Amino acid sequence: MAFLDNSGDIILDAVLTDTGRMRLARGDGSFKIVKFALGDEEVNYGRFQLNHPSGSAYADLEILQTPILESFTNNSSTMQTKLITIPRNNVLFLPILKINQVFSNATAFNSETNTFLIATDTRTETEFEVNSSGVSLNGILFGENPGSNGNYIRLDQGLDTTQISPSRVLDPLLVETNYMVELDNRLGTIVSTGANSRVASLAYLDDDQIATYSLALGTDPLFVKDNPDTTTSTNQAIAGPRGTYLEFKVQGSLELNTGTYLFDTLGTTETLTGRNGSVSVRTIDSTIRVMGGSTGYRMDIPVKFIKKV
Amino acid sequence: MATTYKNLSRQDVSNVKTRLHEAIPITGSIVSGTYAETNIKTYAHGMFQSVYDYPYLSSSANHIFDITVGASTSWPSSSLVTEQKQKKSNIYNQMAQILAGYDETGSIRLIDRDGVFSTTGVTDVTKHTSLVYLNFARLLNKDEIQKESFSIEFAASSGYTQPAKNSIRIKLFDSGALSNYRINSPAGEYGILYLTNSAGSPVSGTTYQAGGASAVQAGLIFYQAGVVAINPYVFMANAETGSIGPLSASMQLNSAGNTISQLLTGSTIDQIATGIRNRIYNISFNNTTELNSTIYFCRVNSGEFNYSSNPTYLSGSKIVVKNNATDVPVSYFTTVGLYSSDNELLAVAKLSEPLRKDPSIEHTIRVRLDY
Repeated sequence: MAFLDNSGDIILDAVLTDTGRMRLARGDGSFKIVKFALGDEEVNYGRFQLNHPSGSAYADLEILQTPILESFTNNSSTMQTKLITIPRNNVLFLPILKINQVFSNATAFNSETNTFLIATDTRTETEFEVNSSGVSLNGILFGENPGSNGNYIRLDQGLDTTQISPSRVLDPLLVETNYMVELDNRLGTIVSTGANSRVASLAYLDDDQIATYSLALGTDPLFVKDNPDTTTSTNQAIAGPRGTYLEFKVQGSLELNTGTYLFDTLGTTETLTGRNGSVSVRTIDSTIRVMGGSTGYRMDIPVKFIKKV
Repeated sequence: MATTYKNLSRQDVSNVKTRLHEAIPITGSIVSGTYAETNIKTYAHGMFQSVYDYPYLSSSANHIFDITVGASTSWPSSSLVTEQKQKKSNIYNQMAQILAGYDETGSIRLIDRDGVFSTTGVTDVTKHTSLVYLNFARLLNKDEIQKESFSIEFAASSGYTQPAKNSIRIKLFDSGALSNYRINSPAGEYGILYLTNSAGSPVSGTTYQAGGASAVQAGLIFYQAGVVAINPYVFMANAETGSIGPLSASMQLNSAGNTISQLLTGSTIDQIATGIRNRIYNISFNNTTELNSTIYFCRVNSGEFNYSSNPTYLSGSKIVVKNNATDVPVSYFTTVGLYSSDNELLAVAKLSEPLRKDPSIEHTIRVRLDY
């Protein structure tokens, strides 16, 4: 995509996204625009010079000169970060999402890869359940039998600052109650934690096979929960006041479970350490994108789908 | 609760229709000459020729128009036709079906000269019983040809050889069509082509020219269909056609010195098309694209969208554009996303530069989607 000409009047370059065109072509009335949002993905607020020596008029000079790319038609490539409406002007801290790796060993990354590993068949699950010393490996999610392993992914929400005590109640305006989770549907699905994993209900599947799950507090109690911990506990990722947290596992797709086509097409072969020492595995690197439905904050969780060669 | 979306009300959505026009100039050297016929596609069936703007075997070539000839069995000289009689009749009937439709008995209607179907009698004075058709590609005429914008010039010297033939020219154009056109064709609106001298005086006097007492109805232009039908007698001398032809002297359309009336009876459609093509000096018209647009007025009020979820907006959860809580929040936006009720991004619009948003500023962003 080229940059837009910013030498004269402000112009607006509008396009339908590929999903928009798909819905339009479907002709079933699903193409209906009902709301809008504003995005600022090109803006680096680090360039806002709050105390500019020449005065406040110069504070945003660099931001206003940011060159803007033309519109992307891929629906998942744009509107990465959105502006937020909060009905108060005196908010100084905003909540974020953070992967909670310290809650327990069950929520930690795999230390060898700094990702979550998703074993896509029973052979791989068995291989990577423990290391050669018989010690359970962190960050291994069972993709064929999610309920047979206690590991899961947990994201905490709140104000990650030591300037405010976690004992303070998070302003209800800033509590996230609805999470949007995106995952490549060819690779897996989102399931609940616990021994009896339940598949999250799909909100929609776009033209690029990206599945979006909408998980809300109250409606999806297996996934979204209030965080009652108001202490400075070391098993909390958020240092300040806390809102809700999201927890889930990933079930590998049948295609990854039964075949190697996607591994050959999208992935590579690596050597990882498992029960039998160094083991050759097919891998696909991907991300699970979690977005706050009301606060708009976004977090990409790195995951690696693996299958023992 | 914080929110990142704002619903559009019924008052925020507006539908409008606009017409865009582009000027389409086609020079005669493209139609004949520049590419030495490599841009002219002929077919084994010999029923028409296709003109491209570049040698047609190239992937960069664009189809401009087709040229063909039709002669009805009602044409007075029909019995004299010795070459492709059936095909010329078929072409005429096919085009007549589309352009003129059927009469009350279900018979194919002859193409009328002035669009008044009630005129009785099959004569070359009231009907076009033989026609040269230029069928323009949709790439050029888009949704329709703009009324009163069409003109085609022909080299009108009687001799065939270049370059003398370009110094004397006639022009056919849809004179006055903006306020005087017909609507009784199944193919949509059409206008009547009149002729005038455009260089020299191939038409003697003003009687037969546009605006004259006996202005010749030289053909028809079907605006939505993108079809121009030209009566071949416009290439003929008045004296040789019982006053139907307008010229002082008939035009020779090939090196053998044949006139159009000779070609119509004794030559193939391809040969006639080649002869006429070589006489085209230029063609010009404006096309029309009908744009149906939906305009979304995205109204950003003072208390809305003043914060950002951009990771660079925060440092340790603290907003970087504020020193303390009482400072006004500031954000900048570069993109407007339009969403469905299930939060699917259906359309996106990018601004050419970031716009500042703080509680002292309101914006109305007008996003137009064209269909």
